[in-house]
Amino acid sequence: MINITNLEKVYRTDEVETIALNKLSIEIKKGEFVAVMGPSGCGKSTLLNILGLLDDPDAGSFVFNGTEIAKYNERQRAELRKHNIGFVFQSFNLIDELTVFENVELPLIYTGVKASERKQKVDEVLEKVQIMHRRNHYPQQLSGGQQQRVAVARAVVNNPKLILADEPTGNLDSSNGNEVMELLTNLNEQGTTIIMVTHSEHDARYSHRIIRMLDGQTVTENILI
Amino acid sequence: MFTNYFKTAFRSLWKNRLFSGINIIGLTIGISCCLLIGLYIKHELSYDDFQEKGSRTVRVIMEYSFGENVTKGNFTSTKVAPAFKKNFPEVESAIRLYDARNVVKYNDRLFNENGFVYADSNFFNMFTFPLLSGDPRTALQGPDKIVLTRSSAKKYFGDENPIGKTLAVGSNARPFVVTGITADCPSNSQIKYNMLASFSSLGPAQEETYWNANYTTYLLLKNEASIASLQSKIPAFMKKEMGETSKTYILFHLEPMKSIHLYSPYSGFEPNSSITYIWIIIAAALLMLAIACFTYINLGTASSMERAREVGIRKVLGAAKNQLFYQYIGESFLLCAISLVLSILVLLITLPYFNQLADKQLSIISLLEPVPLALTLFVLGSVSFLAGSYPALVLAGFNPVKVLKGSFKNTRSGLFTRKSLIVFQFVISVFLIVCTFVIQNQLHYIQHSKLGYNREHTLIVPMDQKILDNIDAIKTGFKTNPGVLNISRAMNPPTKIVGGYNMRNATMPEDVQINVKANPVDEEFIKTTGLQLIAGTDFSRQDILDLGKEVQEENIYHYVINETAARQLGLTPQQAVGQKMFLGNHRPGLIKGVVKDFNFESLHTPIGGLVLFPEPRGATMLIKLSGQNMQQTIASLENKWKELIPHRPFDYSFLDEVYNKMYSSEIRLGKVMSLFSGIAILLACMGLFGLSAYAAQQRVKEIGIRKVLGASVINIIATLSKEFVILSGIAALIAFPAGWWIMHKWLEDFSYRTTISAWTFILAGALAVIITIITVSLRAVKAALANPVKSLRTE
Repeated sequence: MINITNLEKVYRTDEVETIALNKLSIEIKKGEFVAVMGPSGCGKSTLLNILGLLDDPDAGSFVFNGTEIAKYNERQRAELRKHNIGFVFQSFNLIDELTVFENVELPLIYTGVKASERKQKVDEVLEKVQIMHRRNHYPQQLSGGQQQRVAVARAVVNNPKLILADEPTGNLDSSNGNEVMELLTNLNEQGTTIIMVTHSEHDARYSHRIIRMLDGQTVTENILI
Repeated sequence: MFTNYFKTAFRSLWKNRLFSGINIIGLTIGISCCLLIGLYIKHELSYDDFQEKGSRTVRVIMEYSFGENVTKGNFTSTKVAPAFKKNFPEVESAIRLYDARNVVKYNDRLFNENGFVYADSNFFNMFTFPLLSGDPRTALQGPDKIVLTRSSAKKYFGDENPIGKTLAVGSNARPFVVTGITADCPSNSQIKYNMLASFSSLGPAQEETYWNANYTTYLLLKNEASIASLQSKIPAFMKKEMGETSKTYILFHLEPMKSIHLYSPYSGFEPNSSITYIWIIIAAALLMLAIACFTYINLGTASSMERAREVGIRKVLGAAKNQLFYQYIGESFLLCAISLVLSILVLLITLPYFNQLADKQLSIISLLEPVPLALTLFVLGSVSFLAGSYPALVLAGFNPVKVLKGSFKNTRSGLFTRKSLIVFQFVISVFLIVCTFVIQNQLHYIQHSKLGYNREHTLIVPMDQKILDNIDAIKTGFKTNPGVLNISRAMNPPTKIVGGYNMRNATMPEDVQINVKANPVDEEFIKTTGLQLIAGTDFSRQDILDLGKEVQEENIYHYVINETAARQLGLTPQQAVGQKMFLGNHRPGLIKGVVKDFNFESLHTPIGGLVLFPEPRGATMLIKLSGQNMQQTIASLENKWKELIPHRPFDYSFLDEVYNKMYSSEIRLGKVMSLFSGIAILLACMGLFGLSAYAAQQRVKEIGIRKVLGASVINIIATLSKEFVILSGIAALIAFPAGWWIMHKWLEDFSYRTTISAWTFILAGALAVIITIITVSLRAVKAALANPVKSLRTE
């Protein structure tokens, strides 16, 4: 599904050059659940941003579903992203001004789904993450775990082929964290590819494979299954 | 999608209530100004549009000269209308109007009527003033007929039917039969009347001459295009009519009726406006709107930090840049729409006051007509777009990676734009403050300058021939009141002496004349007005009695002239006394005294030559009161008046009020400028508040560090304010020369004026800086008091 080769990304300020990704090559197959680990500044987040089509690489190849997309412009990336990729963030990133239902509805709006169909899909996914009873609440009225369940619901409502999770349990206590991990595992079992950045060995154990990074390169790959 | 946008927009407006409130107030003020000014301009541009034959109607302007000086004005003699109708095939019909004042009485109702207009009988054929009752063809045919407006009819007759009833007009109570009722004149009509009397009632005044130009003539052309050809025939025609004589000539110019109100230098039945003035207030309206937009832009970008995360999320979820752009434009549209609705409410509340103030009949309904409606929507659309697009661009351009990582910090690049906007707003504010100060200074100067006469505790009462015939008895009657010091009759009060005459001394040839103003007065005029004699003596009773002879040339006149007139005759005041002079060619006489120059015209005009002469004529009675028990004195004067002069109401005004009224347009300008500068300052403060809040937000970490290192609250406030004080200083430096130049131009229009002192600028600059410090402190204090631990941790 994803094949990156010799990917490079360099951040420059006026005088300092920071190499975030250094000729990185990774392959991820359809249906895999991969955890990316490594110390702060090793390039995990940069990798996730490039995989999520939020950022573009400086060099190297990025093949997504058989198409080379490293040179896509912002509009093309946005188009590809909204149909194929869902995101889960550490800090949930729900929009405070929208209700649970409206937050989850948002990706469907941007992909142009009709209102009646949207309602059905959103209700379905809210049911699935067991937050249906809170559909008309605002994010601030929910607990952290509930907020992250909403975020997961939002990430999957569009049936994306890939879910990118950036420390999804980082702001949660362990029981809420486990709930979220169970949710991701279920999604993976239903066929969704998941790439998750985490600091938690515990969470990493939910995945099939752990990629460990240091200084913009992969160091080891542990296959857990 | 739009419901989602709308929901987000509405909720985010609600969440940022403070900024939204400021924006809505600012935009409401801006849009209200625009709508009000728009309605006003629409009204001004619509002058005489209701006249169905207006495009074929022209007003005749007279130009004449006896030699050197050329005089031009909106007056013509009685002969123009009939002569033009008879001699020019282009003219379909012609009409003469005479705008008079008259006392009118019905039973016990007695009023001094302004807008008593004599009109030829074809009035209702030429002009579109529909008669509510009466026959338009005959209503003004034959003498002693009168047509009333609905309000006048109500004033005299109440609920009675006035048709066929008789009004007593003038001091001799001449009976006029009411033959028709018209609606009141629309406020966008330059012809204004309360009563229309048949022109033939004027009797001897109808004598057909080209002189005695006291009438207004309108011509109705068969074809509106023939105005130029008709104009070109007039010089030859007039030459023939006048005969080939000396230097005297008369010419007539034609003005299209619909252009009079905005384009003619000669007023109609009310003062004209001017197209320049229209442009100025359009500019003012746009300026207000621009300032409000800038405030919006500043607050919008300032609060963009708070929206950054939302933008990031939306982008991650698939929103394209243009979708986000339109979302935020939509938000500004919502804000503008709310402001528009509020503006209409504001307008509904303020319009009656404005109408009263400006004496107009503006109606908010006219906003619903196609052009105003389209313009309103255009303003709504363009403000939404102009004000919304910069913040929308900033927001839509955010990089989601940075925003969501929290490493996001808005760059300082946009700061220059925002600072420029603040400087611009402050330039306008300081400019308006300077203008307001100078105008107020000049008004103070006008109201307190020594004019050379005493304008306190003096009543002006208009008088007529009947009073004049009986003046001695009346004066004696009034003087029994101990509160009355002096009483004088004169043609004009000293505030405004308008009679134009010629004078020459005995050595000058007859056809060389000096233009002067002259005023027939009595022996108490100088005492009553407090003029200062610097040579010779005051008039005596005998001087008036000396003018008893039928043939003017046989009388010996006595003159009191002013210093300027003496100088014009080539004499010092002392030399002038006892010299022979002529006023016109028919009044030989001697100069009896010289008074110190005084302002007998508006302060716009330099003092010219003036001659006072004791001819027994007059239209004004001046009553000088002691100033003690004024109310009692006036009440007892009124009783005495009723007893002595039952045919007229006691219609008095105070001399100082009459004087102030001459500057009503300046006083109005002063008020408007104060209002505009107030609004501009308010809006600028709002923008400044937004920018300073933004800056405080941006520098929250710096503030935290400074506090940890020991900075006091005052230090922090100073740090945050410094930048803005510098900005307002820059604004002041830009605004000063502009303000000085404009006000210098404005003052040049006054021959007697205040000077623009350095204090004006020092005060205006200080005001700007103080306002800046107060505004910035509102947020700076909060930032300075914040716990540094919190701010450093969140970073």
